[in-house]
Amino acid sequence: MRQATREYHFDRMLWSAFDTAAKLSRGSEKEYRTTLKYIPYFRGVVDALLQPGEPGREFLRVCARYFENVVTARERGRKTAITTFCFSPTILYAFDVVPVCLEVISAMMCLAYRRGTGEFLDYCNEVGFTETSCSSQRGALGGFLAGLGSEIDLVLTDTPGVCDTNANAFAFAAAYLHKPFFQLDYPPVLVDGRSDTYHREDYRALIRFLEEHTGKQLDVDRLRAVLTEVQAQDEMIAELDELARCVPNPLPVSFNLMLYAGRFLFAGMPECTHLLESMVRMARRNAELGRSGLASGTENARAFFCYIDHYAQDLRLWQMLDELGIGYVGNILSRHWGATAPYVRELGKQDAAYSIDTTGLDTMIDSIAALNSRMPMVKSIRGPYDAPNMWLEDTLALAKMYAADFIVYNGTPGCRNTWGMVKLFARDTEKAGFPTHIMNGDAFDERVQSWEATRERFEEFIRVRRILR
Amino acid sequence: MSPDWMEAAVVLENRFVKRWKAAGKKVVGYTCSYLPDEVFHAAGILPYRLRGYGTEECTIGDTYFGPFICSLPKCMLQLAGEGRFRFLDGAIITPGCDSMRRLDECWRKAGDDHPGIVPGFFFHFAVPHKFSDYTVHWFADEIRRLIAAVEAHFEVAISADRLRDAIRVYNRGRELLRELERLRTLPEPPITGTDALAVVLAGTAMARDVYNDRLAAFLAEPSPEPPAHRGRIRLMLVGSANDDVELVRLVEGDRALVVADNLCFSARCHLDPVPEDGDPVEALAQSYLRKNECPRMYGQYQGRLELLRAKIRSARVDGVVMQNIRFCDLHGAENGLFERDLEAEGVPCLRVEREYGALVEKGRLKMRVDAFLERIAHRREVCA
Repeated sequence: MRQATREYHFDRMLWSAFDTAAKLSRGSEKEYRTTLKYIPYFRGVVDALLQPGEPGREFLRVCARYFENVVTARERGRKTAITTFCFSPTILYAFDVVPVCLEVISAMMCLAYRRGTGEFLDYCNEVGFTETSCSSQRGALGGFLAGLGSEIDLVLTDTPGVCDTNANAFAFAAAYLHKPFFQLDYPPVLVDGRSDTYHREDYRALIRFLEEHTGKQLDVDRLRAVLTEVQAQDEMIAELDELARCVPNPLPVSFNLMLYAGRFLFAGMPECTHLLESMVRMARRNAELGRSGLASGTENARAFFCYIDHYAQDLRLWQMLDELGIGYVGNILSRHWGATAPYVRELGKQDAAYSIDTTGLDTMIDSIAALNSRMPMVKSIRGPYDAPNMWLEDTLALAKMYAADFIVYNGTPGCRNTWGMVKLFARDTEKAGFPTHIMNGDAFDERVQSWEATRERFEEFIRVRRILR
Repeated sequence: MSPDWMEAAVVLENRFVKRWKAAGKKVVGYTCSYLPDEVFHAAGILPYRLRGYGTEECTIGDTYFGPFICSLPKCMLQLAGEGRFRFLDGAIITPGCDSMRRLDECWRKAGDDHPGIVPGFFFHFAVPHKFSDYTVHWFADEIRRLIAAVEAHFEVAISADRLRDAIRVYNRGRELLRELERLRTLPEPPITGTDALAVVLAGTAMARDVYNDRLAAFLAEPSPEPPAHRGRIRLMLVGSANDDVELVRLVEGDRALVVADNLCFSARCHLDPVPEDGDPVEALAQSYLRKNECPRMYGQYQGRLELLRAKIRSARVDGVVMQNIRFCDLHGAENGLFERDLEAEGVPCLRVEREYGALVEKGRLKMRVDAFLERIAHRREVCA
């Protein structure tokens, strides 16, 4: 690792970068354009995010606020917990613990710096973590292992049996940093009585763990408040999901990223609510005007991403889709499986969904356990991909419902879980009538495949399969 | 040592399996040591640990699995696709890790293209990743689900009494294997690590009562005098699954002796007795889930480090060889932690990555091991 990288804590640097970016739009156009010259790489991201207006500004504020929370946690007497994107932070906010979500931080580093997380990825290997592990955790984790991030108190994950590569990163972090560790463990079947019981008992064990290590009792009123906020957020996400079905799709392509990032960072908190409110306002306005969310205003095709997006480096995936006039109808990260989600209602999947009951402590714990067990990846990639309620069924149903013209798989080479069967999966989606493109790059590490090569393969697929209308 | 051991260790459909099948009895393969063999023994079915041993290419494995996947399940699929597991009447896939659990889909889907390769009984058997009251309860129910499925498919009855009998038979085997492990730790062990692995592997492909009798007779044989391995460097081999005696032979060469190990397929999976009283399913669930040798049991690193320390002490280990199959992040990462902590305690460690299968990297591995042995030899000289 370069000495220069060791000079400052990386999370403080990210706070500074996003905080400054969030303030940019307050100045005049001239001030804004002048400032962009001083952030030659990050400017592309900032400019792209601010283009849609209010939601972009709100998103930058959310990111800045998140890093502020992480960096200032200790001085404000709050504990921190390393977590994963598919672990709902709601319970942590109920305990006043600051979630440190490795994957989202890795993605943010890719957005902010040309160097991405490369040095931290490599640092993990230097201290014994495998180079074949998933880059989504490894990027940010390297910073914490090197002592270049905020102090960590706890390590939490919920991916054993769902994504062992992910779970292993958290187990390694706990052992390396000598921190208390807790895993939520998921059976391979989502919907049955045994799984329900297991989810509930396991979640209660998590609460006991948090109580032990924070020295606090779970505050019923606070839990009710965050769950009530989640309900309101789910309603807004449901509206956005419903609006995405319109032709043309009134949602800008970057909305997908903002939606899930907001939820991963601040589910149950007002920051996420404000972001969603601004997104809903813009989407409603576009829908009323019959306007596409695409910059060109013309929708040439619709893409459904069956896994994750491409964050290395900056927002080029979203910009490419926008340039090509491809409407983005979501990926597995943006689905929340609350009972009010349009796809839950339309597909009759209430048994695979969660609903929130704030009547009493037990009902709230059961609700949050069900919510967490329906988080992205945890919900649909826990069992055989072709089993009921799993990846294939969800993907085909969502692609059909949102009238996708094609399906794209993008992940990381570290994803043993999906690379173990993505060829079979793609064979099935093709048989179902969806041209399916498997991207070979690494969502978090451009050194694996350059963006230029990734884009060329993508465009070749679009051309050869005659996707664009 | 009887050649029977080595035959059972290196021939998939060995003569014991053939004899079993000739008697009209069933064989069920499984992928993970967390599956209680006793269930099958109680049903009169031979539990057979699935392996990828003997693959010469991986075209079928590579067709269904993606590129970034451990070569062990790929080799298992290759053998299945080539029809070399046709003697199986059933197969059980367990989520030992991501790569292994995807063998479920890959094998089933390969069956569409290679008719007849998927056994009639095909079962996904889940195992929790931690030990506590509710996980044991869930696991006991999973074992009951397995029992019900076996009873229905094979039209057998697995009573509590038969399960208790099976536990007794397996406990006898565990007692014998503990003795084998003890012999390996002696100052002058009567058996090499290569032969010890062959003996243990044979137990995964042979009826347990037959195995117990043979193992008892083997242990009663007089040790060679003088011991042939005096003065060798004493190694421990840990890491990813290894069912290849040739890998151990390569590590040992003519200068070293593997006197202890912590490997899937080694004796570690068969040492702890299962209680013979009480509800046998609960006893199996408790005993199997309590096992903590595999990094799939997340958050238990310190326990596994203690296990290695204890073995290093009892077997007077000079150095630890830590290997992992490429893309096996669980063992690869944990080896990194072991190396950090054991080296700090003065235990020489060697970390190597390899591919599963026909030792395609023999030269590289041999060179790394030889250099490691030189390091230990130099240390011995300095200490002397």
